[in-house]
Amino acid sequence: MSNLLAALRLELFLSRYSLAAKIVLLAPALVCLARFLLVWLNQAGQQARAGLIGADSFELAQTQNAYGHFVDGMNTGLTILALLLVALAAFDFSSERDTGSIRHVLIRRAGRGSIVLAKLLRLHILGLLSLSLLGLAAWGGCALFWDFGPVVEDGFELIGEDEILYEIHLGLLMAVIPLPAVIAFGMLVSVAAQSATQAVTLALGATLAMDIFKALLGERAWYLYATFHPSLLDQSYLREVSRLVRGFSDVLVQDSFFVFNEWVPAVSLLVFALAALFVARRRSL
Amino acid sequence: MHGLRKRYGDVAVLHGVDLELPAAAVFGLVGLNGSGKTTTIECVLGLQGFQDGEVSVLGHGPAELFRLQGDVVAIFDSPSVPPHLTVRQCLEHARMLCPLPRRSCAEVERLLGIEGYTRFRIRQLSLGNRRRVSIAQALLGEPRLILLDEPFNGLDAGGVDQVLELIGELNRETGASFLLSSHQLPYLERVCSHVGILQEGRITAAGELRDLLADSGSRIVLHTTQSGLAQQLLENDSRVTDLEQLSSTHLKMRLREWQSEQLVAFLVENKVPVRELMQQSASLDNLFRELTAGGDA
Repeated sequence: MSNLLAALRLELFLSRYSLAAKIVLLAPALVCLARFLLVWLNQAGQQARAGLIGADSFELAQTQNAYGHFVDGMNTGLTILALLLVALAAFDFSSERDTGSIRHVLIRRAGRGSIVLAKLLRLHILGLLSLSLLGLAAWGGCALFWDFGPVVEDGFELIGEDEILYEIHLGLLMAVIPLPAVIAFGMLVSVAAQSATQAVTLALGATLAMDIFKALLGERAWYLYATFHPSLLDQSYLREVSRLVRGFSDVLVQDSFFVFNEWVPAVSLLVFALAALFVARRRSL
Repeated sequence: MHGLRKRYGDVAVLHGVDLELPAAAVFGLVGLNGSGKTTTIECVLGLQGFQDGEVSVLGHGPAELFRLQGDVVAIFDSPSVPPHLTVRQCLEHARMLCPLPRRSCAEVERLLGIEGYTRFRIRQLSLGNRRRVSIAQALLGEPRLILLDEPFNGLDAGGVDQVLELIGELNRETGASFLLSSHQLPYLERVCSHVGILQEGRITAAGELRDLLADSGSRIVLHTTQSGLAQQLLENDSRVTDLEQLSSTHLKMRLREWQSEQLVAFLVENKVPVRELMQQSASLDNLFRELTAGGDA
């Protein structure tokens, strides 16, 4: 345990001076804010146009509700975060192996298992901090540009704020559950690859390939952890939440989807982490 | 280590290496390119697995050196330091690897002459200064065993002297043992108390350097126009060993219980003109060339 803590302290020390870690920390929040700004500018243009031609519609009214934008912002940020986490996890072990700096830790302070676990923990801490920052940026950004409130049509409340918050909470939870598996997948590629370049290319390539294939697999994609986190070809529950909180009633998600969303990433995390530990123990460093 | 065997696929690199490093020794591991020096060190450090044999370092297996909490440190042939850190950050990181640091970062910077580079990133440094940083990292604690793989690569003459001085000083003051692998035989000869010669994955000679050099003995090179006659006279004489014809005018030999003056008197007495007699003193370089049949170290 003391070796693990020592290895974690060393990892956190390196993170303080790592540009990649700073990018993972800040980029999702910054991209989310940039999205809000672009959407707001676009809406301002649309509103001006609608005002000129006297048009008014339910959709246009809903664009002023901050909850929908909050969900979209979180979705964008989580997509970026997942890609950055898999890239950083893939780079982490393999780059230190390339430079040879991991050897000093191995000889003087911690075993291979502790090093891999410390790296996984550090990436989780980084992910959690980035997620918190993203949440704050998304909420603050939305509050700045729009108003939070229930979904109302012709003075009639379609969806109350409590229900919206419940769905957002559920959607975010379901979207965050696969992130540890994303990190563990990157780490597995990192310990198995021959170089850092190969690791990052493989991890990102595989993640994008999963994105493409999950769209073709139908319900069989539920056995893939990558189906459940926001991505470029998004199939996550958070995407549905984005429609729900805007008052669309055609969202239909089977209960079994949630069961798969909870269990597949957890099992994937376990498999990837154990495989990473196994490979790290056996390979030359 | 005993009977260490290592293969890369079908290619056997180490064929049962036996090596014992005495306490407080400075042990030089020498060998031709590809003889297995780096592989041996990496196996000792647990960085590579091996197929057969036993390795014990201060009572621990190679995979458990970290349990010694910094008693074993290594400096590799390529400076293994994180390139994005500054020199000071790099040393602070290394200091965290020592449960009981012996020196401050500023102290080791001064010791290695890199105090002017404190704020430089590792990637901005020359190879020699990167090597200084990796040596500085090892000196932050109080290791009992220091392994150095090609420690003189990239260092200028002053840097080499500095490192040799440091090795001698640490060995004397703290009793730290050293295992050095290098091609620079004259440097090793200056600092090593023990030497092992690794040839094609086997240790062909090992022991105290002075014993090995004494066994090797000094050589005499005789320059004469009558080398055939001289060879005839000397080859059956028990006071001469390892007689070898270098050219039509030069003979090389080792003398046993005989001085060079006596050899000259003997040759002149037997009508062999002696143009020159040169003494080749025993050196690690000569010993190595002899054992590896004139190879390039």
